[in-house]
Amino acid sequence: MDTIRQPGYADEAFTADVEAEVAGLALRGGNDLDKHTRVDLLKQERAIAREFHSGRMWPYVVAAWGGFALWVSLFPLTMLGIVPLWLACIVACVLATGGYVTSHEAMHSNIARPNTKYRWVNEWVGKVSTIPIVFPFSMARLMHLEHHYHCNDPEKDPDYTDEAPSAAWAWYKTWYNRQPGVDGSIHHYKRILAGMGTPEAKKALKDTLLLQLFFMATLFTLAWNGYALVAAAVWWLPRHVGLSYIRFYLSWAPHHPREGNTSRYDTTRIFKSRLGHTMSMGMETHLIHHLYPGIPNHRTKEAYFALKPILQKRGVDCSAL
Amino acid sequence: MEGAAKKLMAIMPFLFGIGFIAPLTAQLLERFGHSGPFGLSAVAFGLLFGGTWGLVANIRGRWL
Repeated sequence: MDTIRQPGYADEAFTADVEAEVAGLALRGGNDLDKHTRVDLLKQERAIAREFHSGRMWPYVVAAWGGFALWVSLFPLTMLGIVPLWLACIVACVLATGGYVTSHEAMHSNIARPNTKYRWVNEWVGKVSTIPIVFPFSMARLMHLEHHYHCNDPEKDPDYTDEAPSAAWAWYKTWYNRQPGVDGSIHHYKRILAGMGTPEAKKALKDTLLLQLFFMATLFTLAWNGYALVAAAVWWLPRHVGLSYIRFYLSWAPHHPREGNTSRYDTTRIFKSRLGHTMSMGMETHLIHHLYPGIPNHRTKEAYFALKPILQKRGVDCSAL
Repeated sequence: MEGAAKKLMAIMPFLFGIGFIAPLTAQLLERFGHSGPFGLSAVAFGLLFGGTWGLVANIRGRWL
């Protein structure tokens, strides 16, 4: 078990002293690299990773704000009969799911770091992106960073409830965990936040309550005014589709099997998705994101191939890609 | 205020049943040219169906 916390914010991957970090890294079974070699490999790894840090982030801003505007516009467009419900539903499902990707970059401060001129852009990308899935940014960021810091820890990783023995079970659990009486998904997050008790956690809980009430009020108002099918097609159903897709591809697929895999190179597996890199939202190379959260989603695959020789020396199974 | 909101959230499945499932059921029936069974109007059947389902979900903690 590693004693060093995994990185969460964009630049945290470079803050720890190499020697200290290596001292805290658990070795994989059968890996007999000496300390000098491990220090050298980590230095090489960091040097390569730095080349992929940051990059053009404006497409995420355009996608987040443009996507949100398009999603909002679907309400009047369907109510007026300009866009058919089936088409609006498909578009809304894509936007609800994709919104998490843009929000995810904001969670890691990849669009703009704290205390910089465009920090507000980072925050508003995060805030609007997850409204379609009724998941407030304040909660999403806190819980996602906890997931990074304590990845695959059954007690401390908020996403551990997504674990399932097979893909079919994982899909089922994405739905099951959202049931009102089940301690999974957002219910589990609420319990963790209540336990944290920090001002940020209290704000996140309040934001969650307000967004959920707003969601319900919107659905009820639309429904009782003759637009129940619009509410279902544009918000209710896309939210469920989006949440299940996100839980499966961003949580279960890259982290399975979770049990016992808590060290730096074990938390995430390299896998080949049946739907490909884009449709799995870049999760095939999610390990890179956990090692270096400051590498944007669209650059993780490129970074993986650059880092592959070093990862193989570290004992990472790179046979899938 | 926050306490009241939390109490509201505690009965949300039931509220969701009458606030959303009921009109959704009624409008689906009307869209396909049906009224409710047993001589009920679409809205009355929607309220009966949505309210019951929401209440059961509230008690059981599961929608299905």
